[in-house]
Amino acid sequence: MTALLAAWYDLRDLSGISREITEWVQGWGPEWLASALSGLIGSLAILAVVGPTLLLLIWVERKLIARIQVRYGPNRVGPRGLFQPVADAIKLILKEELVPRAADKWLFFLPPVLVFIPALLVWGVLPFGPNMQVADLNVGVLYLLAISGTNVLVIFIAGWASNNKYALFGAMRVIAMTISYEVPVVLSLLAVVFFTGSMSLNGIVQWQQQEDLILLLLLPLAALTFFIGGTAELNRTPMDIAEAESEIVAGYHTEYSGMRFGLFYAVELLNAFALSALMATFFLGGWWLWGLEEWVPSWLILLAKTSMVYFVLIWLRGTLPRLRIDQLMSFCWKFLVPAGLLFIVVAAVERTVLLETDWDRTVALPVMAVINAAITLAVVVLYARTAGGPLARLPHAPIMARGRVGGLRAARELAEAAGGGD
Amino acid sequence: MDSVGYHLAFWSLAVISVGAALGVVVSRNLIHAVIFLILAFVGVAGLYLVLSAEFIAVVQVLVYVGAISVLMLFAILLTPRAARDNAETSMRYPATILMGLVTAAMVFVAVETDWAAVLDDPVAESPRVIGQSLINEFVLPFEIAAVLLTAALVGAIALAREDPEDAPLHDESLAMEARRPGPHGPGPSPDDGDGGGSA
Repeated sequence: MTALLAAWYDLRDLSGISREITEWVQGWGPEWLASALSGLIGSLAILAVVGPTLLLLIWVERKLIARIQVRYGPNRVGPRGLFQPVADAIKLILKEELVPRAADKWLFFLPPVLVFIPALLVWGVLPFGPNMQVADLNVGVLYLLAISGTNVLVIFIAGWASNNKYALFGAMRVIAMTISYEVPVVLSLLAVVFFTGSMSLNGIVQWQQQEDLILLLLLPLAALTFFIGGTAELNRTPMDIAEAESEIVAGYHTEYSGMRFGLFYAVELLNAFALSALMATFFLGGWWLWGLEEWVPSWLILLAKTSMVYFVLIWLRGTLPRLRIDQLMSFCWKFLVPAGLLFIVVAAVERTVLLETDWDRTVALPVMAVINAAITLAVVVLYARTAGGPLARLPHAPIMARGRVGGLRAARELAEAAGGGD
Repeated sequence: MDSVGYHLAFWSLAVISVGAALGVVVSRNLIHAVIFLILAFVGVAGLYLVLSAEFIAVVQVLVYVGAISVLMLFAILLTPRAARDNAETSMRYPATILMGLVTAAMVFVAVETDWAAVLDDPVAESPRVIGQSLINEFVLPFEIAAVLLTAALVGAIALAREDPEDAPLHDESLAMEARRPGPHGPGPSPDDGDGGGSA
């Protein structure tokens, strides 16, 4: 990439403004003020991206799902219903916020606030351009995994503090599902790290730029695993068993009303958008697009890719029915994890071949991409042919549900007792 | 190391960690104690960050906040009456005395030891260095840990596996499930229509 203009008004690299201000402060002020200021500017920039995006996302999501389901969607407030999110927010703020009498008062207040922390921290390591990154951690991938792990705790606190059985069920489901799906996500990111040799997100994008190849083509199975695992961690409709309204009312946020519920809802959308951005960064080349980033602002390219992935997420949400928890679990442990392990081996072998031989990388990488695509296709077809079908037809009730306390055994005993009584 | 930011970060993190640790000891509710413990873990992770050890900081959050505390929460949740209504126990005073002695000993050691200060610069690419030493120099302990973890995983699966005695019952209940008319059974169900018929 050619050198940027490096002037503050260069729209392709918005970090120029921050650099300019920081250098100006360094001219007269102490060092710590300059670094504090650069951190502050970065955080404000994240908020400036996240806030308006969130309002827009609510509208986009509702409108698109309505389109998919042959409805109109919001169309009353403002042009084409564009101000509906604002109206929703005002309504939620004005609503009474109920606190259950038996709830844990202190812990009940915390989760709607805490849940924003991981959702915002994710954006800290996301590169919007070659220089546009709040913190270029050399442990960026691990950092993301650590952040997504803390999300579980917040939801658990929400479910537990409500002192409501449905809330607790929802929280337990979230934990079970998130912890299970974290394994394939980690495995898929491990394959990415193998190839790029970097855990920094900018390093991963730069590797894709150097090799002129997006990782989606090179590691399709890892991309698929990451996408499915990420969707599971978001609790969105194909996998929203944590708040399945036909089973457990609204899951962990059953007892949250008014703006507290609104915050959970907002964070859910925000996490979905962050996942799209991560997917775009890891597998679609991030801010890089075959040289176009020299003409178009790189952050616009990233936003375009993110929107594409987000559209797929909405598409899934609008069309797929909800899975059962045992289907989700068996899909994770019987398909995603073995497939991820297999792909780790493949990626390790290919990486070693790349390092140890002096084959032409422009030939070797496309060949590997073809091999990996074939492996992906084979694995998916094999699973669909063998395990996929029977699994859906013959549900195995989870072992906990068949104990003395309830489930099928209890139902059978009840049926027997009723039959004996007659 | 002597900049204002460093001192500000260190002292605020130290106050958070120690305050949260005190909260663990003082709080009567076990879940509150675990939440305070998590806060203490986060504070310690922040202290690692101040020392430019990003890798250890992130792993601290990943392992302690993300995994171990969830394990603790589950353990408390699945123990009847452990989460709420924690009554006083007679072991309170002996435990206080014991922990007071342990704390005093540790503080004494920490203050009296002549710690060898390392003045080297932090390693720039710590994950790379750690990974290489894990694979090259310390490969045997690394593999032993891997085998141990696999054994633990297999053990957990063996514990949670279905009881063979349940298997015939399971098949029966499945058969019952299949016979039962309804949306889960085979064949078209009367309720599965588009709702137009019943309206």
